[in-house]
Amino acid sequence: MLKIIRFGYLIALFSIAALLWFLVVNTWPFWAEFGLSSLWLDEWFPYESLYGLLPALVGSAWVMMIAMFFALPCGLAAAIVGSELLSKPWQSTLRLSVEILAGIPSVVYGLIGLWILLPWLQNTFDLITGHSLLAAGLLLAMMILPTIMVMSLDALRFVPQEQREAAASLGLDWNTRLITVLLPQAWPGIRSGVLLALGRALGETMAVMLVVGSLDKMPSPIYNILEPAQTLTSRIGREMGEAAFGSMHFSALMANGLILAIISMLLSFMVLRQRKAAQR
Amino acid sequence: MKYIFLLGLSLCLSNYAYAERINIVGSTTVLPIVSQAAALYQQSHPDVQITVSGGGSGVGIASIIQGTSQIAMASRETTQEEQAQLKGKVENIIIAADAVAVAVSKAVFESGVHALSLAQIADIYKGKIRNWKSVGGVDAKILVIDKEASRGTRHVFAQAVLGSSHARAAGASLISGSNNEEQAIISRSNQAIGMLSNAWLNDSVRGIDVLVKGQAIGPTLQHVRDGSYPISRGLHILIPIHASQNAKDFVHFLSSKAGQNIVQQTGYLPVL
Repeated sequence: MLKIIRFGYLIALFSIAALLWFLVVNTWPFWAEFGLSSLWLDEWFPYESLYGLLPALVGSAWVMMIAMFFALPCGLAAAIVGSELLSKPWQSTLRLSVEILAGIPSVVYGLIGLWILLPWLQNTFDLITGHSLLAAGLLLAMMILPTIMVMSLDALRFVPQEQREAAASLGLDWNTRLITVLLPQAWPGIRSGVLLALGRALGETMAVMLVVGSLDKMPSPIYNILEPAQTLTSRIGREMGEAAFGSMHFSALMANGLILAIISMLLSFMVLRQRKAAQR
Repeated sequence: MKYIFLLGLSLCLSNYAYAERINIVGSTTVLPIVSQAAALYQQSHPDVQITVSGGGSGVGIASIIQGTSQIAMASRETTQEEQAQLKGKVENIIIAADAVAVAVSKAVFESGVHALSLAQIADIYKGKIRNWKSVGGVDAKILVIDKEASRGTRHVFAQAVLGSSHARAAGASLISGSNNEEQAIISRSNQAIGMLSNAWLNDSVRGIDVLVKGQAIGPTLQHVRDGSYPISRGLHILIPIHASQNAKDFVHFLSSKAGQNIVQQTGYLPVL
């Protein structure tokens, strides 16, 4: 039995190494030719050998921030209600419904965004089109909400009963108990949820591609989130089919992928490190 | 019970083993013709299983080069680089023709924009004209829809309007992909302009006339046939020379009388 487990562990390790090796080998022609400076060039036009990565990087950063801005307060509030205020049967109902929400395929979210979110944004802000970073961010917020909520719910539930009772016996009111005892105790778990959710927001392709507009241009001014833009994933999704295997265009798209992989690995390492810290 | 199950399983497997699968990938402009033809063809040829999927002309041609599909659909000529890779290995057959319509939202059409010159369309895509008022419409910004660079429609349109198939369109406000997506975006907007095969026009997505020497010419099959409409093209099927007999037979079917009837029914111009 132990042998089989060890074998599985080795396979997992090997596939991660193989993936990184594949990405690095395939992006090498790109880095060799254009170097790291393409990270802050702002024009992407493969037919004129322009491979600036900045607009998509900025776009990806924006949609992650917008998603977190909306999903964190909502998810946390729902978790607090779910663990502290609801009775047992309602708790499990809430949990079940959120887990169902997490299981909906992303293209369904994309279509919801296309038919409901975009027209709504267009009318509300009087825009020429609803396709925008804000649309992508809002859609992602809906998609990562379950992750944040379930992780926070578990974290809150694992706060020892003694702590709650001790806080109550000191005569602290509910607000103070929540802010000084419950949330700090549960914080490591909540933070794991946030990091995992960020990973999902970063990697989501289909839903984002349908609503972001895929226009390779810096938002201008940089805080303009009401205009079409591009993210790393939507660019890969739109262009990968055409790029000939082994061409510079292919290599440049792979570089987008490598950046995504590095960022999501960093997020995972952060989750791991703080788990270790929590165990100590 | 067990035997029945086994029998069923073996039947399924044998069916799977005998039916030859043909993957067809590429242009979403050609797709309606080929998928309808495939449905009809399979009725008389149950031993062939045909799967048709989109992706765009560039994707189709790339899939033939990489050998991941048996037949490709393309709504443009192959580029020089592609020709270099395909030379002597692939047969390129034109099965239909169509017009790339300059498509606008219903509201734009009804506000009075019925025809534009190529120069005006170019100015819109270059970002020099940004308001429908400048070309005879109401005071509303223009939602300029460009397409992914790999799309055949984009090649043909940009070649005719902007002078080169990979020309930049600085005025673009949105990038779309398939004909479906383009059609959906134009129909939901009140101020959009885009490029769309004439077969995809409908009540909420109208094709406007193009002014050629002062004469307004509509994106109709009649004008494609007499060559007067400036943005027209052949629709191509690419098949490797060493393709299987079944794949070749299907391509023959597309060029036959029955196949060309389907071309006409789906709204394209037959070549027979």
